[in-house]
Amino acid sequence: MIKLEAVSKIYPGRREAALQEVSLAVAPGEFVYLTGPSGAGKTTLLRLLYGAELASEGRVLVGGTDISRLPPRKLPSLRRRLGVVFQEFRLLPKQSVFENVALSLRVAGLKGPTLLQRVEEVLEQVKLSELSQVAAGTLSGGEQQRVALARALAPGPALILADEPTGNLDPDNALMIMRLLVGDYVGGATVLVATHDPTLLSLVRGARVIHLNQGRLEQLT
Amino acid sequence: MSGLAAKRGPLSRALLQMREDLWLQGVAISTLTVALAIMGVYLVVAFNLHQSLIRMLGGPSLTVVLSAQASPQRGHELAADLAKLPAVKSARYVDRAEALERFRSQLGPHRRLLDDLQDNPLPDTVEVVLAPGVQPNPELKTQMQSRLDVAEVLASRPWLHRLEQAANTAGDLALALGILLFLGVVLMVSNTVRLAVHARRDHLELMTLVGATRGYMRRPFLVEAVLQGLIAAALASLLVWALSLVLSAPSKLPLGLQLQQLVTYPRLLPLVLAGLAVLAGLMGGFLGVGRTLRLRGSW
Repeated sequence: MIKLEAVSKIYPGRREAALQEVSLAVAPGEFVYLTGPSGAGKTTLLRLLYGAELASEGRVLVGGTDISRLPPRKLPSLRRRLGVVFQEFRLLPKQSVFENVALSLRVAGLKGPTLLQRVEEVLEQVKLSELSQVAAGTLSGGEQQRVALARALAPGPALILADEPTGNLDPDNALMIMRLLVGDYVGGATVLVATHDPTLLSLVRGARVIHLNQGRLEQLT
Repeated sequence: MSGLAAKRGPLSRALLQMREDLWLQGVAISTLTVALAIMGVYLVVAFNLHQSLIRMLGGPSLTVVLSAQASPQRGHELAADLAKLPAVKSARYVDRAEALERFRSQLGPHRRLLDDLQDNPLPDTVEVVLAPGVQPNPELKTQMQSRLDVAEVLASRPWLHRLEQAANTAGDLALALGILLFLGVVLMVSNTVRLAVHARRDHLELMTLVGATRGYMRRPFLVEAVLQGLIAAALASLLVWALSLVLSAPSKLPLGLQLQQLVTYPRLLPLVLAGLAVLAGLMGGFLGVGRTLRLRGSW
């Protein structure tokens, strides 16, 4: 599903590389933790995977597509096959929960009853059906992250990228979010979760852990 | 859940985003209104100058003065005879009574000045309009002068042809100036759209992350720019109309002339402004969004 071949990333104006010759492969349906301290390169690696950044060297393949050579106009179709969750939720605070979740479906061209049905299904999964008409900005942190997760899950992505998804949540909400990232909820998607919280690692049995430090891959378990 | 919630075309998305930032809409529409009003005033001036020019160019180029003993029948015959000349577009007999009445109406409120006249001092004439491009040259005048009962041939307005040439040059300049004004409006729309894009960059960045194409993100901005343009065009048309009403109010000008004879509000102006606003909205919207939207990197 994911393949990185000797990938390096150096941001303009920075001497040190954010990623240095990182190579790894993730199989379809696999659950992978990406760990490491702040500044280790976790976010950079995720940004490379959803095409927000280009690798300075090496190749980044997602679903067989080499993103390093993907022209910008082809990025949208790649991103519609991905679900991305951020630490800071990134919702449209004035719009309803329904509209926030529907956003990822609308851009994919879904409308009418199909869209309604799919949004309702996903809201049911994340236990937010009753709040569907509430403005997203008025929800608690845990609820907002569930909305963000519902938005990522709605199109049925093949790959889910989560960047510190529990970073702003209390332990109970963190646990709920992690449970929603495995099993039937994600429909067999590959999941890559970046976190610096070691307590999360025991929550998903059989998950692989990849450790990054100063832009280098240090440990694979 | 209502069915409407599932439908979100570019128009409804544009209306939604317009409603979210009314202050920005106010700024955009008022700026555009001023720009389109300037364009409207320019068009009204150009239209009226053009109309005046047509009226002037359409008037007689030569005036054939008949001798005092020529009868009205002779006047009509002469007009018919001159109208057959290839250089002549039309010729019309104007008797002295009609000429005096015309002069009286031109004097307007001062028409009573003519009441004390014992006799009509004006002669019978044939007013000749030359064919397009023909100048009132000496041979033509001699040719007309040689006719029976012709006392004199006068070039009515010797400056007319120089004016026609100047008008042609001015027409090109006016077109260039009009295009410049329009490009100014396009630039203004483009900057307004860039402001709107900047104000919604978080929303747009999020849309790029969930896979929105440039076209998907661009369309509501184009619709918004067109809607703003149409509203501004309506307001600008009203402003220009009000201005033309003020200018055409009865006023005392020399020789009884009135501005309302010189300033006409073209009926098609609102349509023309709306058309220009739609075009400017599309062009400016395309430029404004295209220069700002990013699919990669930070916003």
